[in-house]
Amino acid sequence: MIAPISAIGRGISRWVSTVGALARFLSVILVAAVRLPAPGRKVVWRVFKDQIWFTAVQAIPLLAILSAILSFLVISQAVKELGRLGASELIGTLLVLAIVRELGPLLTALTVAGRSGTAIASELATNRAMGEIKALEGMGIDPVHYIVLPRFGGAVISIFGLIILFDIVAIASGLVAAMSSGMATTRYFEIVMRSLTFQDIWITIAKGFVFGGVIGLLPSFQGLAAGGASTDVPVAASKAIVGSMLGIFLLSVVFVLFSI
Amino acid sequence: MTTPAISFSEIVTTANGVEFTLDVPHNRCVAIVGDERSGVDDLCGVALGLEPAGSGTVEIDGQNLSQLSRTEALAFRRKLGYLPAGDGLMQNLSLKDNVALPLRFGSNFAEKEINGRVRVILAALRISQAAGLRPAVVREEHRRRTAIARALAFDPNILLLEAPFDGITDRVAAELLDIALGGEHSGGSRRTVLVTTQHLPQELLSRIHSIYRAAKGKLHKER
Repeated sequence: MIAPISAIGRGISRWVSTVGALARFLSVILVAAVRLPAPGRKVVWRVFKDQIWFTAVQAIPLLAILSAILSFLVISQAVKELGRLGASELIGTLLVLAIVRELGPLLTALTVAGRSGTAIASELATNRAMGEIKALEGMGIDPVHYIVLPRFGGAVISIFGLIILFDIVAIASGLVAAMSSGMATTRYFEIVMRSLTFQDIWITIAKGFVFGGVIGLLPSFQGLAAGGASTDVPVAASKAIVGSMLGIFLLSVVFVLFSI
Repeated sequence: MTTPAISFSEIVTTANGVEFTLDVPHNRCVAIVGDERSGVDDLCGVALGLEPAGSGTVEIDGQNLSQLSRTEALAFRRKLGYLPAGDGLMQNLSLKDNVALPLRFGSNFAEKEINGRVRVILAALRISQAAGLRPAVVREEHRRRTAIARALAFDPNILLLEAPFDGITDRVAAELLDIALGGEHSGGSRRTVLVTTQHLPQELLSRIHSIYRAAKGKLHKER
């Protein structure tokens, strides 16, 4: 009887301690951003640009295709079905609420977590296993400055940019779907613009930064926390993707609760 | 009495390991030899404050790094040269960029000056031709030469070398130790060098001023 309760307690205690460690790690990154020594800025800037290239630029085709297909399928079906009921006005609400505000940020974050989150965690765990982290510290270079900070910043900016791109492609693809179902362009934009509120815009922007923070934070944390063996690399990658996905879904719920 | 370059006082790095009490004087090359159970492998890391000591204290130039704040400890380490076991080269950087990294991060030198300095170090270590390649595609010897080059980037007075001769021939080991020592000085070598290793090639013995051996739970001075 005691054993299952004790196991649950241990699980909760581990979870709370991980959340605490993550919060501490986030504060270390933010302090590092402020205290970055002047000579290191150029090097960090170079790593930051590389991270944007890998995380954002290389993900553009995949996300554009995902967004276009998703939006086309949803809007073409919606125009047909809602039109039959005389409620074609609702495609604006559907597009803005379901795709732009909810699915856009969620799918973008999950895709980038799968692509770049695992890459960041594996890279950092490999750095640890190859003794690179210890070597950096030994040379007087803070690994948080050189390795974590540019990846964290790169992930935040990349996710933010990719969510905007996802939403623009979704609206454009929705237009194609609406036009192919006989709706006029002006009518489509009129419906979409009427459904789009200031709250939708700021929630989307906030999600970009928060989800980006999760993908920058968790994989870096898991990567650096990995043991020194090569077998710890896939474990760190796995923990990073599971943690990031869970974090993104939980935070999506928090956003919904706050916006009701 | 002058402060020793490095001073170990009753340091124990691993459970049931040897207790290390010794001074490394300035401008001398000191080697500590021992197997992994003795705790020799962790001595440099403990001295630099990268790993916690089980007990005892270490001072470098009179400074106990474990008592410094993280920022102060990082700044202090930039004045030293360190070669970690297994080289610790950044795999995503070329050999040249690996050598330039500490200079780019820890100095105010202009890029032109850094490149000039790196060219000189690479030439001295005879790795100029492989400079543009990444560590994964070059030989072990080149990686070790690069790691030594990186440790020498700031031309430090004190150098800590962890298992520096693993995987290279005795001839190359002797050449690298000569470069690390930095030539002759009135009191010995130009640099103070601490070598921790499990095996010391015969060819190096004449270049090392003092050798300590950690065996059977004790530290013995061989010479």
